Amino acid sequence: MAAAIEGVRRGCRVTVIDEGPRPGGQIYRQAHPALPGEEFAEPAELDRKHRLLSAFQAVVERIDYRAEATVYAVFPNGEIHLAQGDRTEVLRPDAMIVATGVREQAIPFPGWTLPGVMFAGGAQSLLKAQRVLPGRNAVVAGCGPLPLVVAAQMLRAGGRVAAVASLRSLRTMLRHPRSLWRGRSILLEGLRYERTVRRAGVPELMGYVPVRAIGGERLEAVALARVDREGRVVPGTERRIACDLLAINYGFVANSELVAMSGAEMRRDPLIGGWLPVTDDYGRTSVPGVFAAGDGAGLRGALVAECDGTIVGAAASLSPTAVDGAALRAELAETIARRARHLDFQQAVRATLRLPIGIWRLVTDDTIVCRCENVHSSEIREALESGHRSLNALKRNVRSGMGWCGGRTCLHAIASLAELATGEAPSEMMTPRPMVRPVPFAAIARQKKAAAE
Amino acid sequence: MPSEFQITFEGRSIAAREGQSVAAALIAAGERCLRIDEAGNPKGAVCGIGFCWECRCSIDGVPDIRACMTPVRPGMIVRRQRGLDGCNDR
Repeated sequence: MAAAIEGVRRGCRVTVIDEGPRPGGQIYRQAHPALPGEEFAEPAELDRKHRLLSAFQAVVERIDYRAEATVYAVFPNGEIHLAQGDRTEVLRPDAMIVATGVREQAIPFPGWTLPGVMFAGGAQSLLKAQRVLPGRNAVVAGCGPLPLVVAAQMLRAGGRVAAVASLRSLRTMLRHPRSLWRGRSILLEGLRYERTVRRAGVPELMGYVPVRAIGGERLEAVALARVDREGRVVPGTERRIACDLLAINYGFVANSELVAMSGAEMRRDPLIGGWLPVTDDYGRTSVPGVFAAGDGAGLRGALVAECDGTIVGAAASLSPTAVDGAALRAELAETIARRARHLDFQQAVRATLRLPIGIWRLVTDDTIVCRCENVHSSEIREALESGHRSLNALKRNVRSGMGWCGGRTCLHAIASLAELATGEAPSEMMTPRPMVRPVPFAAIARQKKAAAE
Repeated sequence: MPSEFQITFEGRSIAAREGQSVAAALIAAGERCLRIDEAGNPKGAVCGIGFCWECRCSIDGVPDIRACMTPVRPGMIVRRQRGLDGCNDR
């Protein structure tokens, strides 16, 4: 949104291709106007959301805004292929900003495919945009700040939270005192969520993870246990908790398939995994005309993303010489400084998302890792032992990453399992190929037919 | 569109509100299993935002539609896909 606003401000013709039905992305996801109820977020966050959405709404008439549209391929020649409804289209812009954000990650465990086990952000999305409780009696598990926020919001919405299992304490943030000071207002919001959870008397289990989800056709209970840094369950700590929702989040990786497909040079995020485009301060990738902004260019949170969008939107609107000139830096000085301040706070947050590689020992042989193709951890281990080390080779041999989700749910786990087994993370992404999203064949056929006529 | 109406899931009438996704209406009604996969595993909504495709159902006779990304409409008929049977009425 911020990039589009800036592009319009600088007189560009801007097209926004949005997978969602209305603006907001994931963090600022809006409910349909007809739905009653409220969002249980902190007032300061809601203020930020409404401010940005209003600013976007003020210029949306001047933007070619495509809702429920999906880019399924980009090519090094600058073509963008998108699907909208039952049609496809090819665009050839002068510049492309990829702001595709991040997706959630889990550490798979036996039973995690049972209905009722959801990503925590997905559960949050049901709460905030759909105004329904994702479950009556929840257990929330993971690392970083999100599980606590989701637990708090569920409680505020009238749900019950039986336990919050946190892999490591958020007190690790205290190791970054300067960073915390810079982000003290956000920290206060976080503390208010923590207070909601504490006052409700929800047990917070430090160092605990789900080791088994239990149920027949749906989730009925979860077994939690404490683990050491090597991913070994501490004997005698297992406890079983009845629940109809297990909301999990163990971090985020970038949705970087499109920017990789454009030919941009990629690098691995050493802290939390996944692949990111190599970019400069203005979001420029190694491919002229291709930019990356927001969390998709590096997990840094909503506040950084908004500043980043403005900066990258400006750069995408100008010629490369203008971008490198001192004038632009002076013009954007305030936004650049704000971005740096927010980035500083994020150092403390990122530290809570680091997982020791040994934790992946939790993924037992009988655990399904690739859900789409039902590939078990044992099959991946055997393929690794046979010398298939790259994500492409694993895909060819055991089908992981070949299903409907295109590896979005499993690739981070597979890369981590490979690193645990071989001592080295795979150096390359699984090669992204069109289509990165399923597209109805009829839509492609229609495009070909129209082109032929 | 009326603000409240009914949809059907596996023959059962489900309350829905304008603006909800199919997944939200089903979850609010206590449904979790939206699909049985080829290995016989029950599946439901996981990511909630359209990237995992686990919640795909047959909607009004069209298979493989994501419940979490599709808004409800009055009289919508939602069915569980079982294995490779997509309940395709086309």
